[in-house]
Formats: sequence, C-alpha cells, structure tokens
Amino acid sequence: MTNNKMEINYEKLGFRCGLEIHQQLEGKKLFCSCPTLNSDKEADIKIERKLKAVAGETGDIDIAAEFEMLKNRKIIYQGNSEDVCLIETDESPPNPINNQALETAIKIALILNARIVDEIQIMRKTVVDGSNVSGFQRTALIAMDGFIDTSLGKVRIPTICLEEEAAQKIEEGKDFVRYRLDRLGIPLIEIATSADIKNAEHAKEAAAHMGMVLRSVENVKRGLGTIRQDVNISIKEGARTEIKGFQDLKSIPKVIEYEVKRQLDEIKHGKKPERGVRKAEPDFTTSFLRPLPGAARLYPETDVLPTRIGKDYIEGLRKKLPKLLTEKVSDYAAKYSLPNDLAKELVENENFENFAKKFSKIGPLAIANALINIPKEIKARFNLDPSKLKNEDFEEVLSYLNQGKIAKEAVIDLLIKKIKNEKIDLNQFEAASEKQLEEEIRKIVKEKPNLNMSAYMGLVMAKHRGRVDGKIAMEILKRVLGRLII
Amino acid sequence: MKPEYGDIVKVHTEEQAYEGILMPRPEIFEKDHTIIKLENGYNIGIDNTRIKKIEVIKKYEKKKEEKHKLSHKKGLPTVSILSFGGTISSRVDYRTGGVYADYTAEDFVEMLPELKNVANLKAEKVMGIMSEDFDAEVWKLMARRIAKELNDGEVSGVIVTQGTDTLHFSTAAMSFFLRNLNKPVVFTAAQRSIDRGSSDAFSNLLCAVNAASKFDAASIVTCMHGTSDDSYCILNRGTKVRKMHTSRRDAFRPINELPLAKVYEDGKIEVLNNNYSKRNNNKVDVADKFEEKTALVYVYPGMNPDVLDYYREKKYKGVVIAATGLGNVSTMNPKFLLTKKIKELTDNGIPVIITSQTLYGRVHPFVYSPLRKLSIELNCIFAEDMLPETAYVKLGWVLAQAHDIEEVKEMMLRNYAGEISERTDEKAFLY
Repeated sequence: MTNNKMEINYEKLGFRCGLEIHQQLEGKKLFCSCPTLNSDKEADIKIERKLKAVAGETGDIDIAAEFEMLKNRKIIYQGNSEDVCLIETDESPPNPINNQALETAIKIALILNARIVDEIQIMRKTVVDGSNVSGFQRTALIAMDGFIDTSLGKVRIPTICLEEEAAQKIEEGKDFVRYRLDRLGIPLIEIATSADIKNAEHAKEAAAHMGMVLRSVENVKRGLGTIRQDVNISIKEGARTEIKGFQDLKSIPKVIEYEVKRQLDEIKHGKKPERGVRKAEPDFTTSFLRPLPGAARLYPETDVLPTRIGKDYIEGLRKKLPKLLTEKVSDYAAKYSLPNDLAKELVENENFENFAKKFSKIGPLAIANALINIPKEIKARFNLDPSKLKNEDFEEVLSYLNQGKIAKEAVIDLLIKKIKNEKIDLNQFEAASEKQLEEEIRKIVKEKPNLNMSAYMGLVMAKHRGRVDGKIAMEILKRVLGRLII
Repeated sequence: MKPEYGDIVKVHTEEQAYEGILMPRPEIFEKDHTIIKLENGYNIGIDNTRIKKIEVIKKYEKKKEEKHKLSHKKGLPTVSILSFGGTISSRVDYRTGGVYADYTAEDFVEMLPELKNVANLKAEKVMGIMSEDFDAEVWKLMARRIAKELNDGEVSGVIVTQGTDTLHFSTAAMSFFLRNLNKPVVFTAAQRSIDRGSSDAFSNLLCAVNAASKFDAASIVTCMHGTSDDSYCILNRGTKVRKMHTSRRDAFRPINELPLAKVYEDGKIEVLNNNYSKRNNNKVDVADKFEEKTALVYVYPGMNPDVLDYYREKKYKGVVIAATGLGNVSTMNPKFLLTKKIKELTDNGIPVIITSQTLYGRVHPFVYSPLRKLSIELNCIFAEDMLPETAYVKLGWVLAQAHDIEEVKEMMLRNYAGEISERTDEKAFLY
C-alpha cells in the first residue's frame, strides 16, 4: 500500500466519479399490496426454483449473466405469507403501479430539478442472480436531466428511476442460494449522477445532499439499510470500479481514497487494475465482489400499462413540495427557540412537530430532550440500544409528563423500562406534590443540620429520584435554608 | 427519410432532443405518444404535441439469424413436438419488445440444450393461435397431425404445445378422437413466457420430452408443474385434468383421481396411478367427427329457464348442464323452474347430461327428489364423476356418431378414455 499520508491530486489523476443512490419508500410494494417491512416472521413459504440465462437479442449471454448463473444452482425463496403474496413468488401478474410511490418519486425528481418523462414505460431489466423471482426487475425511468448544486459546482443527475427492490440474500452454498422475499418489490428510487464528482470529499457532500433531499420528502423510509450509496470511480490508466456497501456517509471519502491508492499502487507495480464491483469493508479497503454487469437488457413490461404524467399533475405536485430539511432547521430554531444543533437533529425526527403540538404543557425543549438527548444518554451511560424505542413509547412517556403524572427526571427511567420491555408502574414515579416535598426537605435539614446546599440537594434527589423536578426541589431547598439562615 | 420502427432516431422537442431506437406502440393504445428506447435501455413516451421533428440517425438493419444444425444422436428415442401457439411458443424481440412465435426443433434445443441428451427432436409449428380461439376444427387438425406422428415407427412419443387456457379441452378431445392409442401424447405449455429466466416452460418441456420418450402409457396426458417449485411435473390424464388457477405454474390439477405419474427433469418417472393402457403396436385411428350444436350450460340461483329455449329453437343436438351439488337444478321454485325447460329438451329428443359445478365428486341420480325427477322423469343422463368440460367434448363426439338418444346414453356412460372413474381415491380431492 502506498503511503496513506500522500495527498491525492484528483484532477491530475483524471479522477472520474459518479454516484448511484438507492432509497426505499414507505407504504405498499410497487406492484402489489404487500407491506414493506423487514419481517423476521417465521418462513411459511418455501419455494425452490431454477433460473435459465435467457439468450438476448444477439444470442449471447453476457459475462455478468454467466458469472451469476452458476449453472443449475437451486434458488430457494422463503418468506411469511403475511408479507408475501403470489406476485412476489412470480405466480401472478403485477398490479398497476403504486401511485403513492410514483408520486413520491416524482416529488423527489422535481426537487432534484429533473424533467419528468411524458409517459412512463415500465421495463423488465433482466437479472440472473435469482434476486428477482421473475428473472427480471421491474423498473421505470421517470425523470431525466436533473442536478444538484454543490460547493464544487453542479452535479448532474441524468436519470431517476423507480424500481422494485430485490429479494435479500440470506445464505449461499455451493449449489444453492437462499433469499428472503419480504424485501422484494419494495419501491426503490434510483438516482444516478454523471461523473461530475471532483474528489473524495465531494462524493460525500453530494451523497449527503441527496440523502437530505430524500429525507425531506414524506413516505421515504428511514434507518439502516433503507438507503444505499454506490460509488463509481475510475482514474487514468486504472479501471472502472463500482463500490457498494458503505456503512455510512462518513466512510465514503476514505474508501474512495483507499481505492484510488490501491489502483495507483497496482499501476506503479506494472499491473492493470481490474474492472469490477467491489465491496466497501469496515476498514475502508475494498474487496472484489464480481465483474461489472454488461449493458442491462431491458424490454417492456407488458403486464403493466404505461402511465401518463400530465402537466397539471406535475404542477400540482410542484406546489405541494415539502420544505427541505436544511430550510426547516432555521424554522425550528426560531419557532421553538431551540439551539441550532438541536434543531438540526430534530428536523430528522418525524415526531417532534406532532408532539410539540400535542404536549403543549411540557415545552419544546423538554420534548426535544426526550427525543434526541435522552436516547443518546441511554446509550452512553447504560449501554442500551435506544433504536428499540418506538414512536408509541415516546408518545406514552411524554403524555405522562404532559399530564403531570411524572417529573421530567423520570423520562429517562421510563424510556429505559420501555427498552427493557418492563412494566411501568406509575405509582413508583408519581411526582411528589410541592407540599409533600417541602415537608420532606424540612425533615432532612432538621435531621442533618449544617450541610451545604449541594449536599442537601444530593440527599433530596437520592430519596426522590425520578419523582421530583430538580429545579423545584432546589427552589424549595433555598427557601427552607434561607429561612433558617435568616 | 421516413422514420420506421427499429431505426435510431433523434426526437427534437422545443426544449431538448432525445436519441434512441424508435419503438412500436401497442395497437390498443392511443397514438398520441412516441416511444423511444434510450441508449441506457429504458423506454420513454414523448408527447407528440411537443415533438418538432424526428430525425433518422441510422436505419435498422435486420440481423440474419443463424440456426444451429441439430445432430442426430444414435441410441436416443425420437420425440415429435407439434406446436399450436400459446405462451410457450412466444418469444420477445428485445429490440422492439414485440412477441413472435417461430419454433423449430433447433429453437427448442437452443433454448434448452439439455434436450439434446434426452431425445432426438422433430418439431413442427402447426399453427400459432391463442387457445381461447380454438374450436373443433383445430382439434380435428390436431388429431390428424398427432396420429401421423404416432403411426411413425421411429417416433417414441408426441409432445403438443399450446396455450394453457383450453388445454384441458384439447386433451379431452384428443382422448376421444384418437382411437387405439399406442404411445404417450404429452401436452405441455407455459404459464410464464419464456423470455424470463424463471419461465416454467423449461422445466415443463424437459419433463415432457422425458415423458414422451419413456413413459410406458398409451395415453393423452398433460405435463405441467406439480408444485410452485421447479422440481417435478405431474402427468394428468387428459380427461381428468383442469386449469384450476389463472396464473400459477401448478394450475393443472387432476380432478377425481391421482396423477398418473410424477416426472422429474432428470428423467425419473414415479408412477402414482397405474390405471392406464400400456404402450403397444396398435395403428392409431382418428374418429374426429364432432357435433358443433352441443352446449355447456352453467346453472345458478335465479337463472331464467328460458335460456334453454335458445338451444331448443336453434336445434341443438345435446346439452351438458353444470348443475349444483350432486346434480341439482331448480325444481320447486315456480319462477325458476329449470326442470320444465329441461323436459322440453328431452321430450324433443335432445339429450341432457348432468355434471356438477363442484367438479370434485360424483353426481347422483337418486339422493334427493329433484335428482330423481331429473333422472327418472326427465330422462337426463347423469355423467358420474366426469368433468363438465370433458362431458361437453365427449357429448359433441358422441352426438356425431350415435343414432338415437339411447345410444347417446349408452356411449356417454361407457368409459372410453378414463373419463369416468369406477372408484375414487381418497387422496384425490384437492391434490
């Protein structure tokens, strides 16, 4: 490996780089009414199939196709019948395209400054690795010629497609491959940029920007595995590689840098780097996955009618475009008097606005705390996984707070109980009344005279942890002690 | 230059230009959009009102298709494939997206090279129509073509491919039209078109060639997926099979009996029901007369009995009724007395055959009083456990031969091709 400290002059290297973003949508599947869950329900459907590489118009089976075919490999599909129907198992023709998904895709395309095609044609893209039961992926080009503005100029977006997500591979053996079917058919937006990316950091900036745009729109899935970034790069005398499987955006620059250095190293040693699809590893290096796919073979999906996109429809949607998250940050900061950093995190939270309206007695800062800071604290201090908290959990706990049934201090304890799936006994957390509290404090002060303020406070909170508001306790304590001093 | 489908064109609109292949637009759609296939493979439709000019960049040159010559392998059986259209013989033209059918033995082998090791194939495309358009004339042609192959000493078995929709009517017709069968006649088809890697056609065809080569029956059978898996096909008797699902691969199910056998892609044949005639050296005869004035009528609550007047007035020669349950029709409801009209038919010498729309099970002439009225008073013929479709085909065939209603009855109740089972296997229901 070349010295990692070496600065890379991307321009001099003839660096070319483009991104492909895949984003899953919420709601129903693209061509059937199955839910779009990542289900872990027991598989009650198990089907074994074989795929034939069907010769194309030239009579050739392209290299990628052949590579994937692995002759006569058995393909096992499994899923739960609550999440999978005859359309995923390729036993029934597709329903018409899901309108909600189409609308979401068009909105995203409009935000990305793209031109919506007049009439969308659903295509079948031949896929031979078994990840689509039918042997093809349904996909449609919905918009062209978009762009985003970045710190290093425009990054063009020649195509935006709406397509079916593939089935998830769960096991592979010598003569078989096993797929889970619940992911198959989830609506997926594919955004492809031109090779306008100037350097490794720029790739991250462009990916982050598109991610922000996607999250600004309703019905876009959030969370692990719902968005994927593929990076295509090449350098002079090197080879085109497509890198998949980035853990997060932060890793993009480093992975690109390492890949460029890897290719430079090979060139230096007289080797010609190999074209191919590579996987981003956790240590930022990449490993060879498979050859680059040949030109995709697409032909019309005759079971689904073309969809016309009228001008009025587009203009209607244009008026309904959501505010971008970046615009919302300053809105939030002003409207709820929140610090900018917190507002930045809050705009990504789908519950905040709703809760702020619903739980008006608490105040936005406390809600923001419960949604953003407390989960972080739970992870840091208690090593628990706050992603297990569901919307309903936050809603329940905040509603207790709103009704004065618990003190602010109890929020963290209750959320921890929710993560641990423990029963909540509100009596345990019932906020002590101020009168009760004052009596208690007087008692403590009387029993242990001559301590300083923070020592008393420690005693009070130790006794009442989670049941009293610290601020109120402090006020009472000051009052009690003040009187005594005077 | 006038742009034609397949040409590479540049479509100019006010704002931009799109380059791609000009594609045909399906007939039934309005011609208000122009479809082009972009370089990335995607098709898009461009609103014609936006188009200023279509410029031809490069004319389409049709590629000559070369067909590989088939070698004849010594020691392998010969199987004849007769194609009558349908999904199994549809191919997609990837350039235009159009579907065309052009099937020779070379095409089958190119599609499925494994076939070369199972049998030497002969293939002929007899016709290319969808099976919902079939009629008795097609069946007659089919019977004669099959008989010719069966009477060829070289041929070990015959495969017929056609559309799935009326496949079970064809197998029923061949079961009666072809007399003194000597070899298996295997009907196969596809529920998924063969342009997709997941098509059931590959497995069906491979199993069918194996069955035609090796299955020891002199019977008309269907050979289609046994389950949703690409694992084995089931061979169902041509008179006891029905398409029971609009789209599933395993849509063809045996009714009222077990499949004759399972056949695997590797050629293994597992007999499940050995009630069939064995291969022999008979000369096959064709008895393909068919009375076209034969009807199949489905009854339902509230059915106006006058419907049956049509068949009497139009001088129909026989009617099959798909009755309810054990063979009932309305006999007591004064508004919907079907029995009255049935009596008019039988009184006029028009035989009425009773089958059941339950499909599974046997009709019974005596269990309930309406049944007794139909069987005893109205002289209807209760067709045992025969499928309504099979009964319809058989009645047309019988009517073309029988001289009087008594002979019709005798022939309808005589078992020619396993259409009536003497006993019903307990495991046959919903197999």
